[in-house]
Amino acid sequence: MTPPLRPIVDGLTRQRGVRASLVVSEHDGLVIESSLRFGQDGDRVAALAASMYRKARLSATAACLGAVAFLQLDAERGRICAVGGRNDLVIVVVAEPGANVGLIRVELFKALEMLV
Amino acid sequence: MADDVRRWSDELARDPNSLVFLELGETLRRQRLLDVAHKIALRGVERHPRNADAHDLIARIAVDRGDLPTARERWTTVLQLVPGHAGALKGMGYLSFQEGRLAEAERYLSHVAATDGDGRVTSALATVRRTSMSLPAVPDPASGAPATDAARETLPQDPRCLFADLLVEDAQTALLLDAGGYVLGGIYLDTNGTDVSSDVGAQLSGITDEIRRAMRHLDIGEWHSITFETQVAVVSMAPSADESLVVVAASRATPLGLVRRLLERCGRRASAWLERGSGE
Repeated sequence: MTPPLRPIVDGLTRQRGVRASLVVSEHDGLVIESSLRFGQDGDRVAALAASMYRKARLSATAACLGAVAFLQLDAERGRICAVGGRNDLVIVVVAEPGANVGLIRVELFKALEMLV
Repeated sequence: MADDVRRWSDELARDPNSLVFLELGETLRRQRLLDVAHKIALRGVERHPRNADAHDLIARIAVDRGDLPTARERWTTVLQLVPGHAGALKGMGYLSFQEGRLAEAERYLSHVAATDGDGRVTSALATVRRTSMSLPAVPDPASGAPATDAARETLPQDPRCLFADLLVEDAQTALLLDAGGYVLGGIYLDTNGTDVSSDVGAQLSGITDEIRRAMRHLDIGEWHSITFETQVAVVSMAPSADESLVVVAASRATPLGLVRRLLERCGRRASAWLERGSGE
């Protein structure tokens, strides 16, 4: 039985500094569930984050580094964190640059466990 | 391959003392089923504690898991059991190179090159010798001579050694790639000591196109770095001068924060090197 996804994304968005959290299909980049603060375009974030995660996974596999578990992108005005590798699902978080990424990482892995 | 695994598993179930665990464990290792491979190898060693190949198998699995101290311990045992064991000599050469003990690496690889016609060993040995020649000599602390700023700023002449003195921890490696994914500096050796810099660089640099596209559309500014954890490694990359890319990889056991510090140090080194005309 598929677990309810809403509490998972809501729980992530409650973390300090998190602007958006989404469960996305890695294959097609479509949003499966999302929790967004005002001003976030969920479809766009989902498509781009899924594409980036997929590319990282393919590149790492081709480089014989094994499957990608966690990804973190740091930019001037924000951070994107993602975990995946199970059932084509990727959990994505968009956060402020100053957000506690260590805590977000822990919460993302907990959320991933709940998806299984 | 699946048939072989099934057949070997059945044989091991019928006869737990069978040496078929060696083939089964190695096949599972190559399939990246490291936990299962490790359990099978450990059970094999329990039953055959004086079998050098069994310890060698555990060492190779340990390297794949990023556990280099265990690998060294096991290969030491192998060499005590069979002093000229080629797998253990190659392994110890690889570990010594990764830990910056170049003379030791050269000694192990020379030994195996003399008896093994494997071209990859010769290639690894050449790499170790080139690295040894281009690194500055370690100052003698007994001389009491303080290191000058100029000495500290000395950059390696061989581009492959660009980050060598910054990489002192287990299984760390770093590359500097140009905008097209070609290697400008650094080196990436696999567990056999083969230089796979070009392949790894080309594959990993492809991510940056995707990142640039995402940055354009997400309106979160320029990207500073990307870090990802894989089954066997932590990889961190950052853009550098002239649209180049610094890539750092370390074993999975390395804390993420440490990898990011290493990336910063390698980034500064790369910028300095590019500003000085790429070591020319």
